[in-house]
Amino acid sequence: MKYEIPIGPLHPALKEPIMIKCTIEGERIVDVDVIASQNHRGVEWIGMNRNNPVQSIYLAERICGICNFCHPSCLVIAVEEITGIEVPERAQYIRVIQGELERIHSHLLWAGVAAHELGFDSLLHYVWMVREKVMDILELVNGNRVTKSIIMYGGVRRDIKDEHIPKLRKMVEYYREGFNKIAKLFLEDKTIKMRTRNIGILTKEDAMKLATAGPTTRASGVKKDVRQDMPYYAYPDFEVRAVTPDILTGETVGDTYDRIVVRLLEVKQSLEIIEKALDEMPSGDILSEPKIIKIINQVKKSEGEAIGRHEAPRGEDIHYVKLKEGFEYLYAWKVRAPTYINILSWRPMLLDMQIADIPIVAASIDPCLSCTNRVTIVKNGKEKIITGDELHKLSIQKTRRLLR
Amino acid sequence: MGISGGGGEKMTAEEIMQKFKEKGYEVWLKEKEAGVKNKVKRKSIWIKLPRDEIKDAVEYFVEISEEYPHFSIISASDEGDEVELNYHFTLGYGKLLEEFAVTFKVLIPKNDLRIKSITSIIPAVIFSEREIKEMMGVEIEDLPDKRHMFLTKDFPEGIYPWRRDETAPKDTNKLYEGWKE
Repeated sequence: MKYEIPIGPLHPALKEPIMIKCTIEGERIVDVDVIASQNHRGVEWIGMNRNNPVQSIYLAERICGICNFCHPSCLVIAVEEITGIEVPERAQYIRVIQGELERIHSHLLWAGVAAHELGFDSLLHYVWMVREKVMDILELVNGNRVTKSIIMYGGVRRDIKDEHIPKLRKMVEYYREGFNKIAKLFLEDKTIKMRTRNIGILTKEDAMKLATAGPTTRASGVKKDVRQDMPYYAYPDFEVRAVTPDILTGETVGDTYDRIVVRLLEVKQSLEIIEKALDEMPSGDILSEPKIIKIINQVKKSEGEAIGRHEAPRGEDIHYVKLKEGFEYLYAWKVRAPTYINILSWRPMLLDMQIADIPIVAASIDPCLSCTNRVTIVKNGKEKIITGDELHKLSIQKTRRLLR
Repeated sequence: MGISGGGGEKMTAEEIMQKFKEKGYEVWLKEKEAGVKNKVKRKSIWIKLPRDEIKDAVEYFVEISEEYPHFSIISASDEGDEVELNYHFTLGYGKLLEEFAVTFKVLIPKNDLRIKSITSIIPAVIFSEREIKEMMGVEIEDLPDKRHMFLTKDFPEGIYPWRRDETAPKDTNKLYEGWKE
């Protein structure tokens, strides 16, 4: 007897608006279908029809709150390649530091969520408490914890000042000391091992065929990392190596446990990169052209196409940008976030697993979706999707009712 | 086909270019410098080919590459009488500075908007092909799953958000009732 279990569109076990339709036989999952919730927000459309190229940087930041450096970074890489805008050396180093700070906070955030999905809430609170340190540093350096608005065509908008550097070093020290404790909690705990070892296996072949990216693909033994393969910014100076789980455990299984290992090791790697970047950071300007109007005009005068790639915490981010001379907006803009490609791997991971494994396996790719969904009213078996205008009218009615 | 790749040998960007030039396609290389102390060049190859040959070209690409090519995304742009699709791949991962991007560029006339699906060769392409179908209105032949990907079920037919002609959505450039241009 087969049953169908829908996980989502909004499910207490998976805090993302996406539907995983699992067909089950007893406790065993025999088929998986992913329905992407039809929650397109039209970010690309706004960049192509309404915003000027500088405004689009801030828009790109809002594609994902956690990856708020990665998306604008891809856009900036692509536009800089087309227009030939130069970037000062110091800015290239600051961009590297920003990217790595983001990786630390994103991986720690994920570690907390993973602990929560396993029902280990005290570990969630502990990891998120530890994460606050890097959030404080982000606030100190950028003035904001998220949506930092740090990157600009031709450099960065805020410098890392001399007085920030000792605090950054202290943060690196703090995480280095705390690393072993977190690693021990995650990797040696009996319950976590039971819930994650040999659960949700993605083979190397599937990882390549389904074109997965980031820690998801590296945990399956594919040594793919944009920082290593096709470095950008100042990354060639650091000789980054892709992290695979066999470095720590001696073998690659490609299961959920391995994905935890990869992320933990990457936090350590990021600390090393930040430390080296602080040691070797050149002095000088942080922006090649401070006047935004001049930048906008230069972008407007350029023509061409390019791909911007950035290794985001969740995997490889890619933006394709096309500019046309005299055209006010980006002529074409295609954003590919890592989750877009990684959700395909849910099917091979979940097949033959049990219902109880769905939350942690789904969370193990670190999914990041649009965080919005449409309101659908289901009445007498009929579905109706509420439009923005209708929702607006309803909220006005409610406000009037409350005022009465 | 091997565990994660085609049957070919390891090739540099220039060798891949040569292979596709021999097939008679227009091929060009773009380079961009990166790094501060250690300067390197990021390479991307662009290959322009006729619409009907996309499936054969991708098949040939998988055949000659050492590792399975890593699919990234299909991007699209409206070029007046034609729709342009770019199939982005990367090849040569795993080694320091040895990866490069490969893009297949296809132009499809608007009066005959169709292209062959490549899902049988690259399974990962399915989400992207579904997206191109609904956003650009390109008919994908032999696409195994024709449901909407990101747009709602009740999205009107004949409206394609990425187009720049009369089929583009109208009256979308307002946020709320009082919005002034």
